[in-house]
Amino acid sequence: MPPTEKQRILVIEDEEHIAEGLKLNLSLQGFEVRIAGSGSAGLQEWKNWRPDLIVLDIMLPGIDGFSVLQNIRLEDAQIPILILSAKATTQDKIKGLSYGVDDYLTKPFHLEEFLLRIERLLARSTRVVAGGGDGHAQVPEIFSFGSNQIDFTNAKAHCQAGTISLTEQEIKLLKLFISNQGKMLSRKKILEIGWGYAGVTTTRTVDNFIVRFRKYFEEKPKNPVHFKSIRSVGYLFEP
Amino acid sequence: MDQSKWFFHPIFIFVFSIVALGLSLFLYIYWYVEVSSGLHTLITKFDLRPDQVLASQTWVVIMVLSILVGIILMGIFTIFVYNQKTFQLYRLQNNFINNFTHELKTPVTSLKLFLETFLKHDLSRNDQSTYIRYMLADVNRLSDNINSILNLAKIESKGFGEEFVRAELVQTVEQFCHDNRHLFKNCSITITNLTGKPIFYCIDRALFEMLLMNLLTNAVKYNQSGTPRISISFEVHFPKLLIRFSDNGIGLEKPVLKKIFKKFYQVGKSDNMSAMGSGLGLYLAQQIAKRHKGKITVQSEGIGKGAVFTLALPERSKLV
Repeated sequence: MPPTEKQRILVIEDEEHIAEGLKLNLSLQGFEVRIAGSGSAGLQEWKNWRPDLIVLDIMLPGIDGFSVLQNIRLEDAQIPILILSAKATTQDKIKGLSYGVDDYLTKPFHLEEFLLRIERLLARSTRVVAGGGDGHAQVPEIFSFGSNQIDFTNAKAHCQAGTISLTEQEIKLLKLFISNQGKMLSRKKILEIGWGYAGVTTTRTVDNFIVRFRKYFEEKPKNPVHFKSIRSVGYLFEP
Repeated sequence: MDQSKWFFHPIFIFVFSIVALGLSLFLYIYWYVEVSSGLHTLITKFDLRPDQVLASQTWVVIMVLSILVGIILMGIFTIFVYNQKTFQLYRLQNNFINNFTHELKTPVTSLKLFLETFLKHDLSRNDQSTYIRYMLADVNRLSDNINSILNLAKIESKGFGEEFVRAELVQTVEQFCHDNRHLFKNCSITITNLTGKPIFYCIDRALFEMLLMNLLTNAVKYNQSGTPRISISFEVHFPKLLIRFSDNGIGLEKPVLKKIFKKFYQVGKSDNMSAMGSGLGLYLAQQIAKRHKGKITVQSEGIGKGAVFTLALPERSKLV
């Protein structure tokens, strides 16, 4: 059944031949397809073009596929994402699934299987959206820790510093920390997932945000219990 | 070997065995001295002739014991070093397998994808030829990968080739660049002979071309400028003949300069694809240089400043 309005598929894949092959097949199948050759280009394209489904490679130059996936999931838990990767170990699959991928296919794959999986994913997501899914991330709408309460629905926090409005970037980072509570996050990872940066960008940016969070949420910002520093590595959030 | 207990750690075992050995040497000597002094009191007590019972060889015994312990210590140390080396190689090899799996799977995936597409759809002649060209490129990539593995095995087994013939080097390099011009389409390659005369040398042609292939394709592959430039120069620095390959590529950081010739070594990390290829190319090139009694060295001013690979060959074996 040809879709009435063309559904959009974003292919994030650095191997040109495979990307072209996927584009050809998906276009023949009646989808509108765009290709992004790197993680950051993929994130850019996802923000601007708002595709209905993403086909994602893991081994990408710059930001890898797992970080791209986490970045997207911070804002949108609904968009179907299919990983297509040469990494075939169970650990990789589990990692992908725990970060919230919908389907995992290893290379080399069967074309027919790939196309059917894509169609299933799209059919299911259409149903979810029709059923009132709001496309929001896996983090609860209201999150409490210590004497603080964050309300993601209206971007307000009731905390040590009183009631404050959170910026978009603050919300994103808070969600990242909440969905990774008890896990150490390196500055590099925080930059990659939270901002979609790769490479040489200064990690001071992350530190500045942490200073702000401590001022908001910690009883003693000098002696934090929620946003802990791990020496020369990164940060750890504990509710 | 990931989460083994601390007492299985090679460094612990190494230190422990050395301490045990040192302690036992001390105890041997201590007991020996104790026993012989005990004997002395016995001898004086019963008024025996001392040289009958005690051939006073204390120092000889201590020396022999020390030498033996010394030998054992050296043995342990050698085993330790070898063990560390093996472990390092094991890690590199693991890394290599991961990378190489990707290098093999990618062209296979692409080939399979296009073949299945051809089966499923009737494409126009134009489209077909585009994708067939992709497939040919993939087949080439695959066969390059397979070749580098096979060449490695060949070069490492001693009996390979050894068909040394007398050849003019400048011409060999020119011919090579001409034969493989499809690989260096957008590049400018200049070849200069600073010696001013033809250079005849005994080379194994197949191996020498493999070396050239590795150095030149690296210069193109690790290059971000629109037109990669490679200049090849020949000069004599008695007693050596130097062939320099300078490029305007991405360059190398100081700490990796020595490591890049190691087997399976790759610049960058394997998990984010900043590492490319198999980690075998320069290792192969170095082995080939050794076969020619030469050596490859590299200089680079740092990232983004290009690199110079120098192949130094002994001048004396110029004519055989």
